[in-house]
Amino acid sequence: MPIPILEVKNLRVHYLTRFGTKVQAVDDVSFKLNEGEILGIAGESGCGKTTLVSGCMGLYIPPLYHSSGDVRVLGESILGMNRERHRKEVLGRKIAMIPQGALNSLNPTRRIKDLATDMLTSHDGGAGKREISERLTERFERIGLDAKRVLQAFPVELPAGTKQRVVIGISTLLNPKVVIADEPTSALDVSTQKSVIRLLFDLMDRGIIASMVFITHELPLLRHVSSSIAVMYAGELVEHGSTEQVIFDGRQPYTRALMGSMLSADPGQRGRKPVAIEGAPPDLKHAISGCRFAERCPSVQGDCAQTRQLLRLVGERHVRCNHAS
Amino acid sequence: MFRGLWRSVGFLFGCALFFGTLLLALLAPAFMTLDVGRRVGLAYMPPSREHWLGTDHLGLDMLSLLVLGLRSSLYVGLLAGSVATVVGTLIGVYGGYKGGLLDDVLTVLTNLFLVIPTLIVLILLSGSLEEGRSLTLIALLIGSTTWTWSARAVRAQSSSLRARDHVALARINGYGTLHIVLLHILPYLLSYIFMVFILQTASGILTEASISMLGLGPYDSISLGTILNEAIRNEALGDGAWWAFVPATVLVTVIAFSLYIINTAMESVFNPRLRK
Repeated sequence: MPIPILEVKNLRVHYLTRFGTKVQAVDDVSFKLNEGEILGIAGESGCGKTTLVSGCMGLYIPPLYHSSGDVRVLGESILGMNRERHRKEVLGRKIAMIPQGALNSLNPTRRIKDLATDMLTSHDGGAGKREISERLTERFERIGLDAKRVLQAFPVELPAGTKQRVVIGISTLLNPKVVIADEPTSALDVSTQKSVIRLLFDLMDRGIIASMVFITHELPLLRHVSSSIAVMYAGELVEHGSTEQVIFDGRQPYTRALMGSMLSADPGQRGRKPVAIEGAPPDLKHAISGCRFAERCPSVQGDCAQTRQLLRLVGERHVRCNHAS
Repeated sequence: MFRGLWRSVGFLFGCALFFGTLLLALLAPAFMTLDVGRRVGLAYMPPSREHWLGTDHLGLDMLSLLVLGLRSSLYVGLLAGSVATVVGTLIGVYGGYKGGLLDDVLTVLTNLFLVIPTLIVLILLSGSLEEGRSLTLIALLIGSTTWTWSARAVRAQSSSLRARDHVALARINGYGTLHIVLLHILPYLLSYIFMVFILQTASGILTEASISMLGLGPYDSISLGTILNEAIRNEALGDGAWWAFVPATVLVTVIAFSLYIINTAMESVFNPRLRK
């Protein structure tokens, strides 16, 4: 069996508030990602998707702390690694990330050329100027940018789609094994969204990136891009299966509710009222012993709020619901 | 933005006042003989054609004393301002960017220094130094006790900047801490740090004048504060010799006032909330 490119094992991550309260934002999350796979992570805002990304990258910056569990890239644990080694060998090289709000992610005081050069020199101190320049031109042209013009430009001179391409270009300069795209298209218009997604696929096809985690709350998008989908709710993975299974045959009540709230542009859907999930997610400042979705669950049963729900295999996918069948 | 600065009346007025005093300090020796080594007349001679600002209690030329004092005061102010700004900026930027325990420790340290009454410490320190109380030492003492509020102000800015998207991307891409601080955070703070420097310089000049006036200033130099101290000790006020203390007081006030005006004008241009 091949070693997975990314393996997250029972990862638990918490925030510590000013007053010492622990907020368990990611609780017992496990998944594996093999070469060529695209894992989609879906869930509503505030469910811990971005925190999970930080946890997977080993970026624990106060008030975010690692509680327990492990993250392995190609079999090697990246948590507890020497900080300098983690920075040079893991970030950007093994795992890269395309952040939310990428449009503001380029430092406006520096030229694109300098920002991209920083990426190379921060990891390969010995690279010469000429070599760097050739590498940047080659890569930027490969991702469909007018390298000469874009490299000399300041971020403010570039349109949104180009900025996003630049962010992707810089983040993948070191050919990372995994790219975590955290809502990379949420701030873009539909046509620009498509070209950005095509670029990510292109990078995978050309072998520049080996696998991808795609995080979004836009479910229709996941249906098109991912090979499997994990659904998050209140810091937990509640269902993890193939794209078809999760989208069309969700077994966890939250998954079904989430898919039910999906809007569609199909003609038959006209006039259909959007279905919202009533209520709000639980406050994670307080320990929750039972099902986190119990209060909002349409199929709730007597013991749900008290009994711990375990992730178990139901019909070839993992579901966190004791009553799922 | 800089065009806005040049259109600001306050900024131009402040610059004219400050650079006027700076030019007086720097260029006066080229046009006149600064002689404070010999008596040029009797004690407290009033201003005259030969001695524009009269003489002091020893009969020394007051204008020469004033120019030398101005040079010393500016030197102390600029050095103290630089020390306070550099120390405060380093602590503030690093603590604000790193956050967590390190930030907490640096904040406690800053607050601890902040509540220590600076002037009393300076008086005690200056008083305890029997010999070698030079201008540079006084400036370093002032700078090393007044960095606290620069640190607090810069920390607050740096702390808010560390949550910016471009800093997050730099961190995610594995750039080093020093790289991020120098190239992704400091450029945003430069105008702010420059304003802090201006205020710290003004504060340095006023503090030096205060401790020198109390007789704890430099042994080996003349500053605006020591001129005031000599005037008090030798009863210039009682003798009606206004020229022994009014010009020095006016100069200290003009320098501090001009720096405060420059700072306010810069803030109204650089701070988008105050921009008209």
